[in-house]
Amino acid sequence: MSRFGSLVRTALRVNFGLSLFRPREILRRKRDLWMIPLIVLGAASLGPVLYFYLKIIRTVHGWLAPTGQQAVLITAAVLAGQVFVFIFGFYYVISAFYFSRDLEILVPLPLAPAQVMTSKFAVILTNEYLTIALLVLPVFVSYGLLEGAGAGYWLAAGLVYLFLPVIPLAAVGLLVVGLMRVANFSRKKDVLIIVGSLILMTAALGGQLWLGRSAGASPDPEAIARIFASSDGFVRSLGAKFPPSLWATKIVAGGSAGEGLKSAALFFGMSALLFVGLVAAAGKLFYGGLVGLGETSGRKKALGRRALAGRLSSGRRPVRAVFLRELRIMNRTPIFLLNGVLSVVLIPVLFALMAKTGSGRSDIAGILKALGSANPVASVLVSALFMAVSGCLNGTSSSAFSREGGQFWLSKVIPVSPRDQAKGKFLHSYAVAVLGIVAAAAVIRFTVRPAASVMAAAAAYSAVGAVALTSLGMMIDLARPLLNWTNPQKAIKQNLNVLLAVLADLAFFGLLFLLAKFLGRAGMSAAAAMAVLFALLTVLSAGSYRLLLAFADKRYPQIE
Amino acid sequence: MIELRNVSKSYAKGRVKAVDDLTLTVRPGEIFGFLGPNGAGKTTTIKMIVGLLKPDRGTVVVAGFDVRKEPLRAKAVTTYVPDTPAVYERLTGLEYLNFIGDVYGVSKKDRLARIEKGLEVFELSSAVGSPIQSYSHGMKQKIVLIAALLPAPRVMVLDEPMVGLDARSAHHMKNLLREHCQGGGTLFFSTHIMEVAEKVCDRLAIIHKGRLVAEGTMAELRSRNGTKESLEHIFLELTET
Repeated sequence: MSRFGSLVRTALRVNFGLSLFRPREILRRKRDLWMIPLIVLGAASLGPVLYFYLKIIRTVHGWLAPTGQQAVLITAAVLAGQVFVFIFGFYYVISAFYFSRDLEILVPLPLAPAQVMTSKFAVILTNEYLTIALLVLPVFVSYGLLEGAGAGYWLAAGLVYLFLPVIPLAAVGLLVVGLMRVANFSRKKDVLIIVGSLILMTAALGGQLWLGRSAGASPDPEAIARIFASSDGFVRSLGAKFPPSLWATKIVAGGSAGEGLKSAALFFGMSALLFVGLVAAAGKLFYGGLVGLGETSGRKKALGRRALAGRLSSGRRPVRAVFLRELRIMNRTPIFLLNGVLSVVLIPVLFALMAKTGSGRSDIAGILKALGSANPVASVLVSALFMAVSGCLNGTSSSAFSREGGQFWLSKVIPVSPRDQAKGKFLHSYAVAVLGIVAAAAVIRFTVRPAASVMAAAAAYSAVGAVALTSLGMMIDLARPLLNWTNPQKAIKQNLNVLLAVLADLAFFGLLFLLAKFLGRAGMSAAAAMAVLFALLTVLSAGSYRLLLAFADKRYPQIE
Repeated sequence: MIELRNVSKSYAKGRVKAVDDLTLTVRPGEIFGFLGPNGAGKTTTIKMIVGLLKPDRGTVVVAGFDVRKEPLRAKAVTTYVPDTPAVYERLTGLEYLNFIGDVYGVSKKDRLARIEKGLEVFELSSAVGSPIQSYSHGMKQKIVLIAALLPAPRVMVLDEPMVGLDARSAHHMKNLLREHCQGGGTLFFSTHIMEVAEKVCDRLAIIHKGRLVAEGTMAELRSRNGTKESLEHIFLELTET
């Protein structure tokens, strides 16, 4: 195998932990068998989501087919996939190119900078194929089946899928390589991640507002007529914001052969151009940006006797100590901060912007206001759901143990019982959830303006429910903590436990919804049904918290 | 103070025996050196003493507490320094020391006195307010050592504590450890540096392929092997494959 081939193969093995993956061992070692139903359950819970997604695609296709505009489905899927890759690719690119620890091994090897960087690009590309599969493939497959497409379609769709992440990833790569070389952030990697993320988030929010404004503006009848008059009017209208999605649509499902070839030349040409540009930039700039890798500021902070004494506590307080440790490590690790604390604030803010981008009574806030005044019970439940989703659907609780990584040995040797450690971690995760609940409550207050009683009831439901959801997330992470990571991103963004916990949370919401429906059908009054739901939530929360503590006692000694 | 009775540990479903029927006693107030070639089972043994690994067979007793049956009591009297100083890089040195003080329940007065002494001896006062991620390898090793001394434990278990320390720091560390044992503490440490083991340890054990091949004072080892040679010579002879 060539040197470069071996490099890529090794990088992929490390990224996916293939050397550690031993399915036969799991079957033989009975103590790991519990993972199989968990994985099956996790995969099965994707079923309903996929089912609804496919149903939506089919319905939209049915709406658009009579006017011949159905190819806009492909445009939308490609656009969504590429925007997704662009936003999330930033974290992957920056951590893989500059902050992964294997660079200390790779840089001294007789490999060209472009080879090292290309191997990392290959790994991110593979990750992206998996990440966008659920978003893009259902559209490509449904479209092909519904249109009765021939071999040409499937070939073109396959090729477009393979090249789909290249343009956004190469663009992000160029941006990062250039930024690192010019600003030499390598000694301030935390600053780079936070500043870069804020820039991207601002861009995403700005884009959201811009799209919302243009959609919300009073429609021009002539423009609408033009869209419907042309068979690719929708495609052109949507693709105008991001031409590669238009080219991709033309390759897969577009018009004449000549137009298809022209689009293919543009799409693949642009991909190749950006990739070659990235490789060229890597050859010149990559190692330059790495200067100082692993170095930190030489300035150290001394403390006098009085300052030292002032900062010391006294006596034994293990739960508080674990809580403070969690808080500090989470808030000082940019990847953890962005995915945990910041996301609980960002979700409600995004919602607020979405709710405000429409006009008059057609906006989301208006719809919710109308819903609230018509049905206060639904208003409480929807608000509570929004608060709970904002507070709990992030990776804080479901990476509570994984975040310790290689330092988990400390938790094993300190004289603190596993249940006390779990209490400290729970307090931290719950505090983050409460922050999300408060942020969501503020957004509801300023957009929907429900009655104070509705707000209080929703806050109570979500605060109690958050105990169960936090415990559930922590138990999932404790069952299979990911401790051997070398890049903090793996502990939270690429941790399967986070996804499993989100799916479990969705199942939890689904069960509560079914129960509420059942109580309604059983003829129970709204007030009584609400009381039953609250009581059940309280019991579930108390039970799951106790279960978490008991599970910690059982599980800690087993983790080696 | 530390007792290992018929302790065994294997990996790869029993195919690799890391520690094989090891029986060992470390007396109170003793500095006990644990030697062996790479892969002999030193770190596995140490990890079983501090509760990081579970023995397949046998018992480990620390200060009268079975580490499996009464883990918290055993941990409350033990501190551990691993072979690589993997500590919370996002905390400052002081925050880490305070964390250790909190979980072991050290009073503020003792905390201040012991931290000040440790920082002074290891010349770390100027860095204690900075995040550990800005420390060099040796500085991280020093902060872990100061943390291990902070609770004034009855038992200290150290895995290759000299690695990464400069000559001055290694000298200070030996003095501190000797002081710790003079105050009644017990020390169990592994090392590859024969001179240090020979000079510092009251008693020694040599482990090879998971089995104990020698145990005793330096004089006892010499007399058993019928030699007046150095520990290095005895070690090489006993661990020849």
